[in-house]
Amino acid sequence: MDDSDEALMAQVARGDESAYRALTRRHLPAMLGLARRVLGNAADAEDVAQEAMLRVWTHAPRWQPLAAFRTWLTRVVVNLCLDRKRRRPWVTLETAGEIVDPAPDATEKAEQSERERMLAAAIAELPVRQRTAIILTYSEGMTNAQVAEILDTSVSAVETLLIRGKQNLRARLSQKIAQE
Amino acid sequence: MDNEQFETLLSRTLKRRAEAPEADEAAAERILKRLSGRLPRQKISVWRIPEVLLDWQFAPAWPRVAALACCGVLGFMIGIAGLDRSTDLRGAPFVISNSGDLGSVVFEPEPLTGVRP
Repeated sequence: MDDSDEALMAQVARGDESAYRALTRRHLPAMLGLARRVLGNAADAEDVAQEAMLRVWTHAPRWQPLAAFRTWLTRVVVNLCLDRKRRRPWVTLETAGEIVDPAPDATEKAEQSERERMLAAAIAELPVRQRTAIILTYSEGMTNAQVAEILDTSVSAVETLLIRGKQNLRARLSQKIAQE
Repeated sequence: MDNEQFETLLSRTLKRRAEAPEADEAAAERILKRLSGRLPRQKISVWRIPEVLLDWQFAPAWPRVAALACCGVLGFMIGIAGLDRSTDLRGAPFVISNSGDLGSVVFEPEPLTGVRP
């Protein structure tokens, strides 16, 4: 039996609840993680992920397999995150450092961990579209074309977002290193 | 920090933060629990109904069978209720108008011989 996303979605369109639950179980953890990284807020991410999965159910009869289901769902999640960001400012939760390993290279690891923490904080401060483009590219491993489709923009605009995002990150990171 | 080091750091940082923390698993379970209840109505576009009718496929599919049955029932009801009578004047295959001036001139055949005027 074909259990691809598209086949399951066709069943969902006919009102099959078990297919919907299978699809939800398959994609929910990834979408929740994506929403958490874009929003930087676990509670909002939970709301967004739930809303996105509900839309899968309600919009299934209208869904056309023009793009991969995963791309469409990512787009729904990203759009919901962007809507929410417009309404509310970003609140950082990822400020806690990691536990330092007392091994011989502990100093190096602690330094690395500190840099990662600072970079995460810098990512959190980026404008939302730049942050989303960076997360989709580096964390989700998407191509520029896929990111462009999700953000409803052109490939060259995505390239610009990535370049500006990385420039911003470098500047903010050096600023943070200088401050500490 | 050169470009390559920066890219590596960026990639590593984001990948590490992409790993689902336990809080995400708990949140996923909560969402699944909430979605296990009654689901809302699906949004079916009215504009899809003609699509279903025009999508000719000779495989049985209940929407097409239902649409065909509905059309049959609708035709039957119109026939029974006589809603089509006004356009279908009884005994008027040759009469366009009964108003004397025009109807007598046009298409009224001679009753016995069948000769047209």
